[in-house]
Amino acid sequence: MRYSLFPGCIAKNLYPSIEKATSIVFKELGIELVEDPYTCCPAPGVIRSYDFDSWLVIAARNIATAEARGIPLLTICNGCYGTLGAADRYLKEHPESVERVNKFLGMIEMRYQGTTRVIHFVDLIKERLPQIREAVKVELDLKVAIHYGCHYLKPSAHGGENPERPEILEKIVECLGCESVDFPEKLSCCGAGGGVWSGNEDLSMAILQRKLNFIKKAGADCILDICPFCHLQLDQGQKRLKTRFEIPVLHLNQLIGLSFGIKDKILGLHTHMVSTRNIAKNAKKARKDLLQ
Amino acid sequence: MALDLPSIIKNFDLRKCMQCGKCSASCPAGFESNLKTRMIIYMAKSGIDVLDLNELWSCTTCYTCQERCPKGVKVTDAIIFLRNLAARRGNFPRIHLTAIKAIYDTSNGFPLTPEISKIRSLLGLSKEPADVAHNEEALSKFRRLMESIDIINMIREAQK
Repeated sequence: MRYSLFPGCIAKNLYPSIEKATSIVFKELGIELVEDPYTCCPAPGVIRSYDFDSWLVIAARNIATAEARGIPLLTICNGCYGTLGAADRYLKEHPESVERVNKFLGMIEMRYQGTTRVIHFVDLIKERLPQIREAVKVELDLKVAIHYGCHYLKPSAHGGENPERPEILEKIVECLGCESVDFPEKLSCCGAGGGVWSGNEDLSMAILQRKLNFIKKAGADCILDICPFCHLQLDQGQKRLKTRFEIPVLHLNQLIGLSFGIKDKILGLHTHMVSTRNIAKNAKKARKDLLQ
Repeated sequence: MALDLPSIIKNFDLRKCMQCGKCSASCPAGFESNLKTRMIIYMAKSGIDVLDLNELWSCTTCYTCQERCPKGVKVTDAIIFLRNLAARRGNFPRIHLTAIKAIYDTSNGFPLTPEISKIRSLLGLSKEPADVAHNEEALSKFRRLMESIDIINMIREAQK
């Protein structure tokens, strides 16, 4: 099966290590990803807050790009999913909007028809747990603080996991030979969404601090996210706070990559703001044990 | 979608709100700020103007309130559309203009920098992503699209 990869602004232009891990992991899984000329999804928190109709047109342009290829669009970011999934659903439910959007897209020789799907990468991983289990070369044995973020789970009209009791990331973590640690407000927001990250830094950091306090107390070796925007907040945000947390942050594709025996340098873990040295050491040791 | 307060009240079922406060109790931004979701919904459904409230911009749109509302009020969607109204009135965090302008100029909210381009190369990725930002024809078409939608006029008005 082929998918059109929608990396999103942050994985492309701030955390290319996530883009790299994604390409490696999907290749290992035998899933073909193609690149297409995309724009910003556009950011749901900012663009949709200003003008819903403009947001819909820019999103439809992206969906129409995958549609022109006749393959599904694959996101690796909750924010992109929150835009592209919601826009696709809205257009499928409001035929009159499709007509309006196509008036704009027609000006640049494009057209939205609603014949493709927008998929969050976790849903592809979900279908392949036995295959992933087979491909795990090193048991990392890390204590992982799972951060679902908001927009993979919500609004629940997306379908998928129960937003109050999701299980999929716990299953994946277990399948990689790691342990998921529990902590209060595990499902709460990281403080980045809704335009708050750029629009109200103090509030954004206060929400993050609260979350990190709980994670620290839980004794996690690392935080696991499924969204480059949460990743940016959790990793770069730690450097903005007065408290020194020093908890490494990994996108799910990076954790899977490490479990597949891919070296941390190849995955670009050294390009994160919070040092991932301990995670890298742990992975190296696990690889050594494997060879003995 | 029609953009005025009566449409927001109707489309997002604000009248069903019974002021139980589950939204405020679930609000991660409310724990750390003056955002009182319950009050915003109460005011909006009563026809009181909320568009000047700065707290309207404190919501991270996490959707927890909307998911938990026992009456099915579309709380988060309502806040997003109230922001649409506030933005038309010129009430919004000016800093967001930078992101909107970046999307118009480069097609990305976070444009590529030379530093990251270097990291991309080191990781064995293409120096520049295969996106619209690095495809001249696609970028000029995208700007034409941006020119035709409302958001650009709105921010130009705001900057006057």
